[in-house]
Amino acid sequence: MKKNMPPDELARDGRFVRVNMVERISDPRNGRGPTGGRVGARLTPDRPGAPDAARALMHGIFVGEIQALEGAGRTCWDFEVGAGSDDVPFQLKLDMARQCWDEARHCEISVKLSEWMGTEIGEFAESTFLFEAACNPDPVLRLTGVNRALEGLAIDVFNTMKEFGNVVGDPVLEFCEDWMLADEVTHVKMGSDWLRRLTVDDPERRKRALEFQRIVDKLFSGGGFRGDDEDSPVHLARRFREMAGFTVDEIDEISDLARQARAEARARTAGATAGAAAEAG
Amino acid sequence: MADPKKPRAPFAPWDRRELPGTFTVEDTAKRVGHYKWVEMRLFEALGGWVATVPELDVKMRLGTHCYKHAWHSELWHKRLPELREMNPDRLTRPPNEAMEEFFKVLTEPEDQGQTIEKLVGVYRVLIPRKIAAYTYHLNNTSTITDAPTIRSLKLALNDEFDDWRDGEMLIQALIETDEEVERAAAHQTRLEKIMLRAGGVAGPGSLGSVPETMTEEVPV
Ligand SMILES: [Fe+2]
Ligand SMILES: [Fe+2]
Repeated sequence: MKKNMPPDELARDGRFVRVNMVERISDPRNGRGPTGGRVGARLTPDRPGAPDAARALMHGIFVGEIQALEGAGRTCWDFEVGAGSDDVPFQLKLDMARQCWDEARHCEISVKLSEWMGTEIGEFAESTFLFEAACNPDPVLRLTGVNRALEGLAIDVFNTMKEFGNVVGDPVLEFCEDWMLADEVTHVKMGSDWLRRLTVDDPERRKRALEFQRIVDKLFSGGGFRGDDEDSPVHLARRFREMAGFTVDEIDEISDLARQARAEARARTAGATAGAAAEAG
Repeated sequence: MADPKKPRAPFAPWDRRELPGTFTVEDTAKRVGHYKWVEMRLFEALGGWVATVPELDVKMRLGTHCYKHAWHSELWHKRLPELREMNPDRLTRPPNEAMEEFFKVLTEPEDQGQTIEKLVGVYRVLIPRKIAAYTYHLNNTSTITDAPTIRSLKLALNDEFDDWRDGEMLIQALIETDEEVERAAAHQTRLEKIMLRAGGVAGPGSLGSVPETMTEEVPV
C-alpha cells in the first residue's frame, strides 16, 4: 500500500456522489445561492427550508466524519516513528488511532441520525475537501489543518446542531451532538498540543502550520457559513474552542476571517445579480 | 463476625497461583518487544486501509480495530521499561526477516476490489497467530512474578477474540462466489507459508516448541 493517497482514490460504494466544493455548497437545498452566498441565515426551525437545510448539514457531517476517519487512518500509515522532520512521535500515532475509533463512532452516530431525519446515504453530494487537508505531507501542517481548523469547525457545527436539537425538541439529536462535541474538543486539543510540542524549537514551521490553518479556516468560513454574527448558520463555539487550546486572540482571528469571507461572498452575489440584471436588460 | 486476629493462609484455598514460570525477565522483554512491533504494524495497516475499502461497515470496523491494536502496542511499550529495557525502541523489532516479509505481503492489497484479501490476511492469518502466541504466554508465565504481563495479555486477548469474530463475520458476508472463496484461500495460503517460516508472531518458539525444520535458536 502506497503512502500519501490522493483524494480522488477515496473508496466509496455506488450510492455516493462526488462533486467539488463549489457544486456542493451551490445545492439549493442548503439554503444558499448559486455563488455560495448565504440566503437562509441561522439554522432555526422557522427558517424557510429548515428541514432540508438540517438534513443537508447532517449528511455533510456524515461524509465529513468518513473523511475524518480516513484522514486519521492515513496519518497512522503515512509517517514513520522517529525524530526526523518527516517522522512523528509514537504517541502522535496513538492519538491518531484513537481518533480513528472516535470518527468511526461519529460515522455510526451520524448515519443513524441521518436515517432518523429521513435522509438516504448519497441523497446529498460529497466533496473531498476535508480529506485534501489531510494529505499535507508535513505531519505538523497536516495535524494543524485537520485537527485545529477542520476539527475546530466540527466543534462549531456540533454545538450549533446541539442547540438546534434543543430548540426543535429533538433530545436524540441534542444528546448525540453533545457526545460528538466532547470527542471533537479532544481532537482539537490533540492538534493544539502536537503543534506546540513539535514546533517548540522551530518557529518557522509553526508559522507555516498556522498559515495553513488560516487558509483552511477561511475556506470553511466560505460565504459566511460559520462566524460570530447572530445570523451565521454555524456559530463559533468560543467556550469549547478555549477548552481545546485556542487562545481568545486566535478565536477572534477566525471570527475576522469569517467576516471577510462573508463580505467577499456578498460582493460575489451582488456582482452576479448585477450581471444577471445587465443581461436581462 | 470472624475473629480479625485469627491467622489466615497468605493464599486463599482457591488461589492456585504458582511461582515458577517459563520466561525470564529478558525472555519476556524480547517477546514483549516483538508484540509491540506486530501491534504497531497492524494498527498502521488498518488505519491506512480505511480509505481504500468502499464497504461502509468494513470501513468503520477497521477504524475501530485500528485503535485497539494501537492501545495494545502502548501496553507493551509501557511494559518494556518495567522489564529493565530503558530504551523500548531497541526491542521494538520483528523476530526475524520472515515476519517483516509477512507484513510486506499483508499490506500489499490496496485496490478497492481487494477487501477480501485485506481482511483474510488480518483475521484468518495474523490474529489467530496473535491469539496463539498470547495464550501460550499467558498459560506459561509465572502467575505471581509476571502478573502485570498477564493482565495486559488478558486485556489484549479479549480484544483479539472480539475482533477475530468481527473480521471473520465480515469475510463470510463478503464472500459470495466460488471464485472469491478461492481468492481468499490463495491469499491465506501465501501468507501462512511466510508465517510458518517466521515461526509465529514472536518467532520460533511462539508456542513453545520449535519445529525440527527450524534450526534457529529459540528466541522465546
Ligand atoms: Fe468527528
Ligand atoms: Fe474529530
